[in-house]
Amino acid sequence: MKQDYIKFPLHLIFHPIDAFWDLKSDHRGRMVVAYTALALTITMMILQKEYAGFLVNDIDPRTINSFVEIATAALPFFLWCIANWAVTTLMEGEGRFREIFLATGYSLIPIILIYAPMIVVSRFMVQEETSFYYLFNSIAFLWFLLLLFIGMMTVHQYTVFKTLLTMLLTVIVMGIIIFLGALVFSMLQQLYEFGYNIYRELIFRT
Amino acid sequence: MARTVKRWLVLLAAVSLLLVNAVPAAGSPAPYESYNYNYWKEAVPSPDAYLPSRIVTGGDLGVGSFKEPGDVNVSPGGWIYILDSGNNRIVVLDKAYQLVRVLDGFIKDGSKESFHLPGGLFVDEKERIYVADTGSSRVVVLDSTGKWIQTISKPESDILPAAFQFQPLKLTVDGVGRVYVVAQGAYEGIMQFDEQGEFIGYVGTNKVERDYREYIWRMFSTKAQRAQMVLFVPTEFSNADMDSKGFVYAANMDPGSNEPVKRLNPSGEDVLKRFGYYDVKGDIRYRSNTGPSKLVDVKVLGNGMYSVLDATQNRVFTYDDEGHLLYIYGGKGNQVGTLKTPVAIERSGGHRLILDRGKNNLVVYEPTRFGTLVNEASALHYQGEDTEAVSRWKEVLMLNANYDIAYIGIGKSLLMKKKNKEALEYFELGMDRKNYSVAFKRYRREMMKEHLGTFLTAAIALIVILIVTRMAVKWRRRRQIDREAGLH
Repeated sequence: MKQDYIKFPLHLIFHPIDAFWDLKSDHRGRMVVAYTALALTITMMILQKEYAGFLVNDIDPRTINSFVEIATAALPFFLWCIANWAVTTLMEGEGRFREIFLATGYSLIPIILIYAPMIVVSRFMVQEETSFYYLFNSIAFLWFLLLLFIGMMTVHQYTVFKTLLTMLLTVIVMGIIIFLGALVFSMLQQLYEFGYNIYRELIFRT
Repeated sequence: MARTVKRWLVLLAAVSLLLVNAVPAAGSPAPYESYNYNYWKEAVPSPDAYLPSRIVTGGDLGVGSFKEPGDVNVSPGGWIYILDSGNNRIVVLDKAYQLVRVLDGFIKDGSKESFHLPGGLFVDEKERIYVADTGSSRVVVLDSTGKWIQTISKPESDILPAAFQFQPLKLTVDGVGRVYVVAQGAYEGIMQFDEQGEFIGYVGTNKVERDYREYIWRMFSTKAQRAQMVLFVPTEFSNADMDSKGFVYAANMDPGSNEPVKRLNPSGEDVLKRFGYYDVKGDIRYRSNTGPSKLVDVKVLGNGMYSVLDATQNRVFTYDDEGHLLYIYGGKGNQVGTLKTPVAIERSGGHRLILDRGKNNLVVYEPTRFGTLVNEASALHYQGEDTEAVSRWKEVLMLNANYDIAYIGIGKSLLMKKKNKEALEYFELGMDRKNYSVAFKRYRREMMKEHLGTFLTAAIALIVILIVTRMAVKWRRRRQIDREAGLH
């Protein structure tokens, strides 16, 4: 229990090359951990906006909306997994969807681990020290990117160059998915409106 | 019987009408809606700082109506000089807005001369009247009785091109008699003349704002196309005023500039403090078809405060010495107190005067309680009397709880009294991160000094307890192993 859910994720972020291979070959990854990592990341983002110290928090409190926060983190996450799966299937990637999902989820862990203490520490910072806050936040993000990169490389058994290429393609495909989604949504809306107008015409005819 | 009832009812109705008139109408008596910008650059409603009290027209004074008046100036002695450009005369009023005299010319070398479409005037401490006589390309200096003293005409200088046309528009004079002239087509800055009328040089050039889009476009154009393009020339100043320390405040009309107001030190550098949340440039939010503020006049009010007059929305913006926007009043319209084509702003005691060329009148504004309190508090803060300013700021907050500058003012006073924790709250309310940081640093040090001993004791105790429990656990485990091995 403790081994799979706490020790392995912590081991993974410091030894990503070994651990991602274990995750793939030994089935060490757990979906619950990936979901929890996503949920905690979203929570941290909300907490940061709400409770980070006054000196580093330039957010208008009237604009904080948890649903928007959830959407801005969860939507790209799932989109990334789907788009990456779509791209790598065509590019001879060995990863299955479950493995992509796990790798992406596990990569989020440094963000949680760095954001949580920084939110607390930022409340005790003065202006000169706020650069540390920004530094650590950047480190968290870069760490996440590095883990994601190694994760993708290991899961799909790609070379460095091919990993970079597929990651870039994934972002492009994410954009295409959003575009198609918006298109479909707009078409559906027009269809609905068309149907609704016909209905109204019929109603008022009698 | 019915008749008496009817009579009573009529009487009651009449009395009620009287009573209705006696009760002042609810709501703001101002013909405009006052607002201010908050930290997030939103325009939020604010109490009125100034209300129009009366208008002065030429007809009221009995000198015939004004015709396109160009400038107004209040002498240190308190007399109000209105430059009635269209009628080529100067109308002088006293503090109570009563006519003193009309100057419609001067005697020079035995012959009478008159002004020709003058644009600006200034009255110095000795009640000498300086007139920028635009149409005659000269600056005329008269004494208080209207006697000619001196004429400053087109300067002879190597730095001026031969074809230079000297057309003075506005002017201001410093304590030792140096004249600063805003002239038409003088892109190099404000022309400075010494007390003898000799040209010294230019001060305070406006920088050319480089438009990169235009710049790139220019790279790809042919020579013929380039010749037809707009030239990159610095903008002209629109007006100037002098503060008590001899620094020139200058406004320019460049609509794209973020620094349309300048405070020039004697060597011509801009030293205006801009510590507010936003630029000192009038409206910071505006519709694109109306455009940004066009500042046509700037008036130094003393104690670091200054007002600028915006000819786009016809409003007055007043700032304190650090560049915080204090209040906004005025507006477009045809009522008393709203303006058509404002050209000049002045102060006469507590009153503010705005000369409206479109309506040919002078509008007099009086401060409200809110305006008076803000003025007093800002002045006290400028003089370093932060403690005394606090009571004013507290009253301001009763009238407008969203007034950030008041929170910052109270915070600064608390900071000086070393009440760091209380100061923190006020700086947070005023969204002043810089001072918040200062207060927090002090507060943190205080807390450290007070609690470091306790903290260290607790930490050492915790470590000791941890070590002891660890040893105990180890000892127990060994005992257990020993027992299993049958050693006990």
